[in-house]
Amino acid sequence: MYRYDEFDTAVVRERIEEFRDQVSRRVSGGLTEDEFKPLRLMNGVYLQLHAYMLRVAVPYGTMNSRQLRRLAHIARVYDKGYGHFTTRTNIQYNWPALSDVPAILEELAEVEMHAIQTSGNCIRNVTTDVFAGCADDEIEDPRPWCEILRQWSTIHPEFSFLPRKFKIAVIAAPKDRAAMRTHDVGLQLIRGEDGEAAFRVFVGGGQGRIPHIAQEIAPAVPGRDLLAYLTAILRAWNLLGRRDNIHKARIKILVASLGIDAFREEVDRHFATLRREDLRVPDDEVARIRAYFAPPAFADLPRTSGAFDRASLADPDFARFARNNVRRHRQPGYATVIVSLKPVGGVPGDITAAQMDLVADLAERFSFDEVRASYEQNLVLPHVRLDDTPEIWRRLAEAGLATPNADLVTDIIACPGLDYCSLANARSIPVAQALSERLADLDYQERLGPIRVNMSGCINACGHHHVGHIGVLGVDRKGEEYYQITVGGSADETAALGEIVGRSLAADEVAPAVGRALDRYLEVRRDGETFLDAVRRLGADPFRDAIYGAVDAVA
Amino acid sequence: MKIVTANRLSDGRVIYAGPSGEPVEALDRAGRFDGEAADAALSRAARDPAIFVNPYLVEVDGDRPSGRDRFKELIRSRGPTVGHSLGHP
Amino acid sequence: MGQSMQWLERAPEGVRLPVTTPLDEVETAARDAGVLILEFDAFRDGRGFSLAAVLRERGYRGRLIADGRVIPDQARHLRRSGFDGVVLGAGADVNAWRRMDAAFSATYQPVEDRAAPIWRRRELARKPEAIVDRLNRETRGGDAEDILRAALDPALGLKPAVLSSFGAEAAVLLSLVARIDPSTPVVFLDTGMHFLQTLAYRKALSERLGLTDVRLVTPDAGERADLDPRDDLWRADPDACCDLRKVRPLERALAGIDAVITGRKEHQTPDRLGLRPFELFEGRIRVNPLHDWSEERLQAWFDAEDLPRHPLTAQGYRSIGCWPCTEAVEVGEDARLGRWSGAAKTECGIHLGRRALAVG
Repeated sequence: MYRYDEFDTAVVRERIEEFRDQVSRRVSGGLTEDEFKPLRLMNGVYLQLHAYMLRVAVPYGTMNSRQLRRLAHIARVYDKGYGHFTTRTNIQYNWPALSDVPAILEELAEVEMHAIQTSGNCIRNVTTDVFAGCADDEIEDPRPWCEILRQWSTIHPEFSFLPRKFKIAVIAAPKDRAAMRTHDVGLQLIRGEDGEAAFRVFVGGGQGRIPHIAQEIAPAVPGRDLLAYLTAILRAWNLLGRRDNIHKARIKILVASLGIDAFREEVDRHFATLRREDLRVPDDEVARIRAYFAPPAFADLPRTSGAFDRASLADPDFARFARNNVRRHRQPGYATVIVSLKPVGGVPGDITAAQMDLVADLAERFSFDEVRASYEQNLVLPHVRLDDTPEIWRRLAEAGLATPNADLVTDIIACPGLDYCSLANARSIPVAQALSERLADLDYQERLGPIRVNMSGCINACGHHHVGHIGVLGVDRKGEEYYQITVGGSADETAALGEIVGRSLAADEVAPAVGRALDRYLEVRRDGETFLDAVRRLGADPFRDAIYGAVDAVA
Repeated sequence: MKIVTANRLSDGRVIYAGPSGEPVEALDRAGRFDGEAADAALSRAARDPAIFVNPYLVEVDGDRPSGRDRFKELIRSRGPTVGHSLGHP
Repeated sequence: MGQSMQWLERAPEGVRLPVTTPLDEVETAARDAGVLILEFDAFRDGRGFSLAAVLRERGYRGRLIADGRVIPDQARHLRRSGFDGVVLGAGADVNAWRRMDAAFSATYQPVEDRAAPIWRRRELARKPEAIVDRLNRETRGGDAEDILRAALDPALGLKPAVLSSFGAEAAVLLSLVARIDPSTPVVFLDTGMHFLQTLAYRKALSERLGLTDVRLVTPDAGERADLDPRDDLWRADPDACCDLRKVRPLERALAGIDAVITGRKEHQTPDRLGLRPFELFEGRIRVNPLHDWSEERLQAWFDAEDLPRHPLTAQGYRSIGCWPCTEAVEVGEDARLGRWSGAAKTECGIHLGRRALAVG
């Protein structure tokens, strides 16, 4: 993975000094809260319900063991002993004091981490496929480009006061495992006509009050023009995006209101006159960064593993874990292990300091010292030997990290909701817990097959409920918590927004309602189709009836 | 009746304005104000941005928040209802 | 378009537009404007930065001033987007503005104030010798014009500037540069101690050659007030005077420049023997297109191109610097004997580097 040089280190350290200066001026009155707020947001410092929240960047989801251990240390020393991984593959701490933040940032800087631009109206963390470098369908590892984008977007003088936040995701395969089409800009790495890296560029995706699926704006931008093209897109939006209404400010609104063709013209006009050669990263620099992402020194192993096969036969629990959480790797004899942060009744995405240390140990020992954070709010050990998976599973199980539910219905994506967030209408964690307790039976979950449940505590949709196979949205009805259910959304290359099934339900009605919808699915499915396929084939009605038929019968 | 609430600048914790405008952590020790007195208490807190960040008024009925955001204010006063920080002090 | 921001007490006269003005209108207004003031009605309104960047990219060379609601923490954003001044409110904390402006030593992005972005500085930091060797190889057997074309090639990605004293032989290099790209920055160290004839010659020659970016670099006013308030430091300590009026201002002027084009020639001093067209100096590439030109060749060039000569050459001055330290020489004497004559000093120090100066 990328290692900082003296320039990267200087930027991070100078940023800390700048923030210290800003905090001091805020305390002394030199800055009002209104002036301070965007500055602290650009350093990842939110003010939530009960406390500040610090969102630390995990660039494109990749970390090493030293970094993960430092995150554990920060949780212990400055927080309440835990952290929370998000859908943008960052980690959040819920209880740091503002006065501690500069010290925390220094501890992060020592391990080449930071909290720069994880919030605020600027370009946010660039995310990618958690299986980068492991999947056998990728053109090339997208992460060197993610690192180039990270550097280019960091403390950008022109784009630090945008109309709203700006999120970029990069994938490198036709399959979209990073919800790319739900981002302001999505990039799909392809092979250009000259054999060099090129990008299919999508623009205008986003969740929130008015969700949109991104549209293609350019079929093949050569890699050497990528930064110039993105500059043109950002410039067009920065100049034309609405600033009168925060719910109408994202680029998705501008693209929808102008239409993709007119927006493209606007972008092309800027692209034509900006200094393209200035924004061309030298080939040497691209090569230098690429070298950091070269495949690790894989051993030459046979395709199958005796140890893995024997363990699968001997222990049905391991076999289940292997079925769901151990994924095929492009390198023979290797696999990728998904570490679920969704234990039954747990808080989705939460992890304790001790658990972080354990995963760091496993990464160092078994996965070439690399661990990843995923869009699904889980962790991933990218390159492990199949031979080692039984032991890895045992160690994970001891720490409560071996729930074998990756991509199953209890692998819920949920925002923190009203328990933590001042924007929320309703709590999401208790609802997620109730659902996961109701559906805990793993045989049942495996029968259901892959289903993605997404929960958001409010219309800001940080849980991505619009693109859940089943989405749950907390709404406010006269000061009470109610929840709206959607079905048929999808975050992959067949991206779609879910359809609302009916009126909102009370908190204790949600888990039974979802349960009924799932039972109905099992009744109607054909030829082993997935839940999503069934919704696409039959529409929402059968599931609507299942949910409300029972509710209305009782009422 | 109304109380004044805000977050504390130094650590972001929930605070309320006490009867004399001093910051207090517990809702039941918050000063209760009516009408113009409430506005005055709010202004006083707003003049102290080194302690009170974004103060605002909350309707209460006795010791319980009562307005539109009553549930949110209850959670603010008691802490998260779930998870690793259950009922923080 | 300078590299440092001006902290203004009040807005100058000029065209004033809010940042909410559509780009087309701003461009139209800027066309004939010498001073353009963009007003921020809210500091979060980042349109101003894009307006500035577009104006600069599309050739606006006038002054660009920010006014209205801006905060010190935006100093750098303003400067790097192309503003050269900001109006501070009454009671503004100028020190906060200065601190925030200087908060970062390098930038990842190519920016309007011409600072080299980090990836270019990396290249130079990592393998500058390789770049220099390659350029020397490629221009071997070539001439001054080949050397200059190589240095000024946009594909090479260098940010070059010519360093010229507008002295006795300066016209040769400047005319060669003007043939290729008259918008190449030309840095003139306006020491405050020049002959009036040099200043007049500079103006006339620049116009004649069509040079569009001659930068007059002056000593820092504060330093000068401290170190040489009566402009007589040259008597007691010419090295210190050169340092104040040439070496330090040059360092500031070269921020963001990574290739310095000089008129240095082998034959000028013993130290310059073996001068190569491209060399490395203090983290920058130094380009010497006239490295092997003889005195005769220089004079022939003047005649062939009909270039105006520096007025003082007619009076016997063959190398011209500041007036206190420049004398005419006898015919046949070494041209630079007139510089710091009577002292061992043969170089002002701008080509020697800081360490050399410290040694003395």
